Amino acid sequence: MEIISVKHLTKQYETYHRGHDARSVFKSLFHREKSVITSVDDLSFQVPQGEIIGILGPNGAGKSTTIKMLTGVLYPTSGEINIMGFNPHKQKNQYVKQIGVVFGQKSQLIWDIPPLDSFHMNKEIYDIPAEDFRKRLERLKEMFEVADIITKPTRNLSLGERMKCEFIMAMLHSPPVVFLDEPTIGLDLIAKQRIREFIQEMNRQGTTFILTTHDLEDVERLANRVLIIHQGKKVYDNSLAGLRLHLGAKKVVRLSAAAPIGNIDYPGVEISEQISDYEAELLIDTGQCALGAFLHRISESVDITDISIKEIPIEKIIGSIYEEPVAAM
Amino acid sequence: MKRLLRIYRVCVMANLATAVSYRMNFLLNCLITLIGNVLFPLVTVIIYNSNASFAGWTFHEALLIQAVFILSTACASMLFNGIMWSTMSHVVEGSLEVLLIKPAPGLFLLLAQAFNIESIGLLTGGLVIFGYALGGVGGMSLVTWLLFLLLFAAGLLVMLGVVLIVAAISFKWVANSRLPEMFESVKAFGRYPGTIFPRMLVAISSFIFPVSMIAFFPASALIGRWKGYHLAAILPCLLFAGFGVWLYNRMLHSYKSAGG
Amino acid sequence: MFKTIKHRFQVMRAVAFVTFKEWSAYRSHSMVSIFVGPVYFLVQYYIWTSVYSGEPSINGMSLPQMLTYFCATLLVNYLTMDFADWNLQMLIRTGKFITFSLRPVNHMFFALSQKVGHRVLGLLFECIPCFLIFYLVFDINVLPANAFYAVLSIAMAFLMNFFINYSIGMTAFWMVQSSSIRNIFNLCAQVFSGAAIPLVFFPRPLQVASFFLPFQYTAFVPAMVYTGSYTLADITLTIPQVLLLQLLAVIVAGAVCRLLYAVSLKHFTGVGA
Repeated sequence: MEIISVKHLTKQYETYHRGHDARSVFKSLFHREKSVITSVDDLSFQVPQGEIIGILGPNGAGKSTTIKMLTGVLYPTSGEINIMGFNPHKQKNQYVKQIGVVFGQKSQLIWDIPPLDSFHMNKEIYDIPAEDFRKRLERLKEMFEVADIITKPTRNLSLGERMKCEFIMAMLHSPPVVFLDEPTIGLDLIAKQRIREFIQEMNRQGTTFILTTHDLEDVERLANRVLIIHQGKKVYDNSLAGLRLHLGAKKVVRLSAAAPIGNIDYPGVEISEQISDYEAELLIDTGQCALGAFLHRISESVDITDISIKEIPIEKIIGSIYEEPVAAM
Repeated sequence: MKRLLRIYRVCVMANLATAVSYRMNFLLNCLITLIGNVLFPLVTVIIYNSNASFAGWTFHEALLIQAVFILSTACASMLFNGIMWSTMSHVVEGSLEVLLIKPAPGLFLLLAQAFNIESIGLLTGGLVIFGYALGGVGGMSLVTWLLFLLLFAAGLLVMLGVVLIVAAISFKWVANSRLPEMFESVKAFGRYPGTIFPRMLVAISSFIFPVSMIAFFPASALIGRWKGYHLAAILPCLLFAGFGVWLYNRMLHSYKSAGG
Repeated sequence: MFKTIKHRFQVMRAVAFVTFKEWSAYRSHSMVSIFVGPVYFLVQYYIWTSVYSGEPSINGMSLPQMLTYFCATLLVNYLTMDFADWNLQMLIRTGKFITFSLRPVNHMFFALSQKVGHRVLGLLFECIPCFLIFYLVFDINVLPANAFYAVLSIAMAFLMNFFINYSIGMTAFWMVQSSSIRNIFNLCAQVFSGAAIPLVFFPRPLQVASFFLPFQYTAFVPAMVYTGSYTLADITLTIPQVLLLQLLAVIVAGAVCRLLYAVSLKHFTGVGA
């Protein structure tokens, strides 16, 4: 069942320019040039209930504008959004009671007082019945192990602790759909791991998550599906595994040898980086050259001291997609 | 309505909790706003000490007007000035979303969170000066007291209107921290006996930008020196505050369609 | 010697230009003064016109002199105000001050250069427009009694203000929470500078004290030089005498500021914050 349906979503806004030299600085005192920017351009996609979808894209790609429109904060210039039967910006008050939002960089907690007080404020704002509030808080407290944290002033908490509380804040009204905007930004590895485990746990219980992030690991660990946006347009929308397949079934092999590595000239193998005479990184198209066969041949011609085989890093894949968009699969 | 009251109460409690957790800071801020605002009548004191005066007004009468001005400022900063500051910082930091994703009217949430107990010091200082000035004037009766309260409330509406208009403009005129100064400067016309200004300015400060209602009209009413047009000026005060609410909501609306 | 001065001048010019560019993006901030200044003056105009009704002179000042005085304090303020204290404590609190110890120019000189750029903006968008409004629209006699003396006095007020504010900003080297001290100090500075009311209206002991406080040299002195006569605590000085007194005050303030800077830096690096 589709819980989110977006059709031909477009957002444009106006901006100003100014040059660098003294003359244009002076000129800009009186007059600024205007131009229209299309930050989201004819975007369509669907999300079934219970999915975790990752939205990826470089800075300024239109990710956060999209999230803002999905959360009802921004009006679209054109297009249609339907989430749980709501039109986000038209039925704002009913709609936002059904969603949770966590901004990695914008705190919803009140800085000078303990998170518990902020939670109580949300209880009133979201009109959560006292009994539900108590139960949910109890459960979330346990999940995050924050029982002793939430009574300390927010300003005294570490970023990781604060992020946990931001999550609790967003989950107290038990929303079926949760938007996460860079939820792990600035966190250390352990804190990131905890947050990811929590997202998975909530997902198992049926919550749908929409995640925007720079952190590809977030996507690799969490998302069943990725949506890549570049210059406001959708350039990819499918599974993560499919994204890898897009470049063909390739593997990265890193090779160290005791003697200088000579010419390696097999079909389906190319040297992607010659690090030194003794070390090289190869890109192997396993469709043309099976991994076993490659290992067999290479061990005959090169005196290997070390070898590692890896997947193509996702940065590379996405980088290549930005350069040449693929039709949505 | 009941839900809004509950939200408001929670926000007030949160502000009290903040004040308690930053006790020292709270006390110092109380003191500084008190000194800053109480210094203002100093000019009046100095003028009267130099054997000069505002034509037609005794020292205590002039002081009474300024005490009412301080009281109005104190109420405004306790109840709603925070709307201006939080709007500005939300716009600058691009964090207005945090407010807009909540299932309650944005302006109401801002109002609830604007409550600031720090102005209690200023309120106390204003009351002391008010009391002192009252000791030297006459003409009060139950009727003038009621009239005073009515006009004072209308003056607060003007203060609210100013806050909302400044906050609304800050959506478009981003990061202009001096914007409040413009409105602050116009308020000065309400701090002095209106009779020292020419008719043209009196008309403007009574009916167009009704700053006279902040202090001059209520104080004159209290000592029985009120005129009919003081009462008529209540209507422009209502319109002024209404305009502020309308403008603010419009900006909130256009923020959503413009984005950034 | 000549080379260092030339180099310093070049640094100042470069920093000032960058600051000017940086702040011209906020031109609307400065332009607020074109509204606020005249409105503030208008209020003063009617207050004093009313106060002077029937009195030719109060505390030795006539009404026209009083009005010129208020115009002058406003214009002087646009040319000499700064946020040196706020900037400095911000740099210290956020830890950015350290980056300046890595540069081959000391921060005090850097901040002064910034102020030059910032105030050029003040001249263009605050001082000149307000001057024209006072002169042409309000028809006030805002021409200085002696332009040369006025410029000299304003230049000294420019430095004086900087030394005072920079010294206050340095409290942040010694205290974590210095904002309340700075706020209270700024309030005192406002009253004792004469910006709110000429110092001749003060009780006599305070007038005498003003000679030994730094504040009158930032507003009261340049404004009185502007109007062309100076009397305080019944002491009447000729304008060159006042300028000499102001120069003395600036030298003392500069020396104190320099000394505080050296001591504070030593403390700062010693603490290793």
